[in-house]
Amino acid sequence: MISLTHFLFVSACLFCIGLYAIIAKRNSIMILIGIEFIINAAILNLVAFGRYDKINYSGQIFALFAIVLAAAAVAVGLAIILNVYRKYKTINPENITDLRD
Amino acid sequence: MNEFVFQVSDSIDHIIRSIPLFKVEFALSFGFLSSIVCTLIFDKYWKHSSFFVTILSIICAFLILMTQHDQSNFGFYNMLIVDKTSFFARAFISIGLLISAIFLQQHFANKEFKKRKGDLYSILLAAGIGLNLFSMTTHWLMAFIAIEMVSICSYIMVGYFSENKKQAEAAMKYALFGSACSAVMLYGLSLIYGFTGDLNFASPKHIQGLIAAPEVMVSIAILFVFTGIGFKLSFVPFHLWAPDVYEGAPTPVTAFLSTVPKIAAIVLLSRLASAWISTPFYFSELTFMFISFVSIVTMLAGNLIALRQTDIKRMMAYSSIGHTGFLMMAIIAYSNGQQNILFFYVLVYTLMNFASFAFIDVLEQKLGSTQLSSYTGLGKKMPIIFTCFSIIGISLIGLPPTAGFIGKLFVFSSIFEIYQYGGDQIFLWLLIVGALTSVISLFYYFKIPLFAFLRNNKEENIENINPALSPMLVIGVILTILVVLIGIFPSGVFGVISN
Repeated sequence: MISLTHFLFVSACLFCIGLYAIIAKRNSIMILIGIEFIINAAILNLVAFGRYDKINYSGQIFALFAIVLAAAAVAVGLAIILNVYRKYKTINPENITDLRD
Repeated sequence: MNEFVFQVSDSIDHIIRSIPLFKVEFALSFGFLSSIVCTLIFDKYWKHSSFFVTILSIICAFLILMTQHDQSNFGFYNMLIVDKTSFFARAFISIGLLISAIFLQQHFANKEFKKRKGDLYSILLAAGIGLNLFSMTTHWLMAFIAIEMVSICSYIMVGYFSENKKQAEAAMKYALFGSACSAVMLYGLSLIYGFTGDLNFASPKHIQGLIAAPEVMVSIAILFVFTGIGFKLSFVPFHLWAPDVYEGAPTPVTAFLSTVPKIAAIVLLSRLASAWISTPFYFSELTFMFISFVSIVTMLAGNLIALRQTDIKRMMAYSSIGHTGFLMMAIIAYSNGQQNILFFYVLVYTLMNFASFAFIDVLEQKLGSTQLSSYTGLGKKMPIIFTCFSIIGISLIGLPPTAGFIGKLFVFSSIFEIYQYGGDQIFLWLLIVGALTSVISLFYYFKIPLFAFLRNNKEENIENINPALSPMLVIGVILTILVVLIGIFPSGVFGVISN
């Protein structure tokens, strides 16, 4: 029997993997993938909790909007990374440091 | 199923009744669509058509907004709130959008790109719709959609032209940092939804859920949620993107980013604070301590790091971080019922910031540089710009007789009142740090007149600078005059805001 706890555990794991991918920052695309991991963890949480909210279904609705917004943000992010690649010929954030104190 | 059918006609009635509340955003949306059409079709015949449509729709939105004065209403199942707070916030946002649109037009007027310039205006209007929604809601779903709308539009505005390496880098840092922050916020929101089962953060059910939830989980969830708001407001420790993005982005975009999204985010945070701080339970205490502690740290960090900047745009970035700390102090006054103080400070901050970026842009177009040292000895050659710029600096510090002084005075006196009444130590610390950082800020804002008037330029290779009268300069001077006038006669503006 899969209970709510299982869902929460999986989503916490997804969140941690995503956070690691962002903090390790080897590659801009990997950071975007990490962000997607976190968003999917949140979506899983929302849908799992939404089961108990049978009147409004706010969780499900929120999950749908989150998917759409995540797709939009990633599309813009990829376009910007492509632009950076044209200028720098690399997408490793550690090599792109013209702006700093 | 039968119950659902029974409710449908009620729901439709409710939605139709709510539509008039959405008029302002409809004007902006219509402007957004027609601006895209103008960019595609009419810009070939008259190159200012998309700019003209943008200005027209912002003015229309502002005029429609004026009819909503004195209204207090809820719509779309409490997703949109039309009240005094959202009225003033949207009025300031409209003014900000109008000035940003003119700045963008002026900045890119003499440059040629392969990409269409008109798209920038439609993106600005889309950001405007997001900002309006941001300031009208107490519903997390709406707030999240608004944050994402504003963020995505801002990423595009920073990186759209990518004239040089710096702009591409700034856009990448902004997009990655911003998406990461909003993803973490979404995770926090999902946890909060789990505790409460309700997404409206001012509703009693939501607050009861937060009271009942375990302390550790509530702390994690609330801190995650503040990550997203903190990114938009750029308070410490989520301020890291601000200096890089402000330096790299085109100057009018920087002017937009440093002012308008902050108005909306500060309104959301103040709604959140006034809904959450009032209870005696753990989550209220955590929210209050977080806001006041972050306010202190932000004021200190912003103003201290600004001292050693040599680039004016970077310096303004840290200065705006310092002002964010001050605005968070005004939020504490707001949640204690003194709303007009926050509105006054936000209005003054908007005027000062746009004025300073107007001068920065005029100087950047003439000198081709934003380094402070490039202003050396120019005070006598461009007296109007540098006199006004120095007055704006004085106002940003908070010295009389400018509006910045009155704004800071109101915030300090209201916090002092709360301290005398409640007697918590943290208010005293807020006052001390606020006063101290105002003194610190004096040292870096005075670098502008120091370089311009008191230092002589050895090289005389800047003879060809002739101060022509550009619309940017006119706007900057008008804003400066407004700042001084509000500083001398604050009662007029304060009367309008308190009314």
